[in-house]
Amino acid sequence: MEKKFLILQKNTQDKMREKATTLYIGPQHPGITGNMMVKVQVEGDTIVRARTEVGYLHRAFEKLQERRNWLQSFTLLCRFCVPEPDPVEESYARAVELLEGREVPERAKYIRVLMLELARMGSYMLWYGGQSGSLGLYTIGQWTVGDRNYILDLFEELTGGRVYHMYIWPGGVRRDLPEGFADKVLRTMDYFEKRLKDYDDLMFENTIFQKRTQGVGVIPKEKAVEWGVVGPVLRGCGIKSDIRIDDPYEVYDKLDFIVPTHEGGDIWSRALVRRQEIRQSIRIIRQVIENMPSGEYYNRIPNPFKWTLPKGDAYARTEATRGEVAMYIVSDGSIHPRRTHFRGAAYVHGITLLEKILIGENVADISAIMNSLGVCPPEIER
Amino acid sequence: MMKELKEKIVQRIKANFADAAEKNDFNYNRLDFTVKKETIPSILFYLKDEMGFIHLSDANCVDWLEEGELELVFIVWSPKDKIKIFVRTRLDRDNPVMDNLDMIWPQLNTYEREFREMFGVQVTGLEAPDEFILEDWQGPPPFRRDFDTAAYAEKTFWERPGREDAQDVRETIANRDGEEIPDFAKKYSR
Repeated sequence: MEKKFLILQKNTQDKMREKATTLYIGPQHPGITGNMMVKVQVEGDTIVRARTEVGYLHRAFEKLQERRNWLQSFTLLCRFCVPEPDPVEESYARAVELLEGREVPERAKYIRVLMLELARMGSYMLWYGGQSGSLGLYTIGQWTVGDRNYILDLFEELTGGRVYHMYIWPGGVRRDLPEGFADKVLRTMDYFEKRLKDYDDLMFENTIFQKRTQGVGVIPKEKAVEWGVVGPVLRGCGIKSDIRIDDPYEVYDKLDFIVPTHEGGDIWSRALVRRQEIRQSIRIIRQVIENMPSGEYYNRIPNPFKWTLPKGDAYARTEATRGEVAMYIVSDGSIHPRRTHFRGAAYVHGITLLEKILIGENVADISAIMNSLGVCPPEIER
Repeated sequence: MMKELKEKIVQRIKANFADAAEKNDFNYNRLDFTVKKETIPSILFYLKDEMGFIHLSDANCVDWLEEGELELVFIVWSPKDKIKIFVRTRLDRDNPVMDNLDMIWPQLNTYEREFREMFGVQVTGLEAPDEFILEDWQGPPPFRRDFDTAAYAEKTFWERPGREDAQDVRETIANRDGEEIPDFAKKYSR
């Protein structure tokens, strides 16, 4: 009887293998969030196995940093994740400050929070485009990516660069706010606050979006932390977790904001969390502008070509739109880092998590699920 | 409050892991423990299952070339106590072997693949494809300190014609093919 069962099982497995088709989604694919590939086996249009393949983008930034001084790394840092480079700069700058014991002026901390929250909004505007575009809803992306330019205009005025800023650095920020900048920020926030309603009408009240996202790409709440889920994806599982509150940095502990959560663990819940976080970012930015003290914005570092840090290591975590990003730095007392290591949320979300939750899903939902997890391949392959 | 909490954690760890060398001179929410490599699985299991350090924040490897060792650093976070613990161990650089730990946190599988490929750490029991980021790599592990990136780049890549003597590529191509560079492009030429 047992032998018969084994033969039957083997025959069934063979038949299944015959039925399964292997598809290569990426690395050149409009639905993929960057240069990576998801190799999936499908039966009909249901995914039975998924494997993330990377290796198209590795630039060995961590290794290159070992040949640069502590300041020269900034030209690499902003390229770790293009849509939102500021949290990476901030975590590196803060790790250096932790290791050296360098004080940062209060005004600089406020300006940093302003930068981080503007970056969060800008990144979410891109996410709107990716998330809705993955479901065939292209108009939203055209609106939000267009509106993102108003944030990039602010960045350009403040830092000189629209996408790569290299503005937050050890000791504070590179320059003070230009005259009239705070008013421009407030006017931009007023614009976005009105605009959010339009996005809602087009996205969250859209039946297609609701039906394609509810109950899709579900992460079980009880497994979420163990699987390394962080950021809006974790909050979309109903778990209140935010580094800005749990392990506060800069001046987040002086600001009043809430951490939105949603039960469900699906794409819909994650989208709702992100949508609410935009409103919280606007709230934070207004408080920052109102409460920002005057004074110094930069505690000057020594000549960077002679600047050494004490022996030891430091680890600084920042809450980005993708979740927890962090920088680990090791100094052997020289002018170069002994080792730097970047922890990106996509390193976990894009590989082990994605491979798990794709199983049982429809092949047409791969792109929507990837977008909802905030998978940023440059972050995996630093 | 934080100081008392940290002392309690240190006492519990030391009571259960006699070889854990502790460093507790940080004035913020961080603790450090250095253990033998054999203790790594048990201490990580203990921290996760018994002490609430359920979130693996990071795992990384540092090459201490001069000391002949590789250091593995695991950073775990307790959402309840709001404390992060660094668990460290050192491996012999000439024969770096560690146990597979992805039964504790599944995402460690990815970190271990990177340790194997970039630092040459052998992970016993690791179930994963041979290649992670590199393809057909025959050389030494590229993230080790003695891997010379500049020498590798010089050997592997070559300059496009026109670049070897720092000349403008457009000028070289135009000269070669007998073409004129348009006026609008000339102003950008060196």
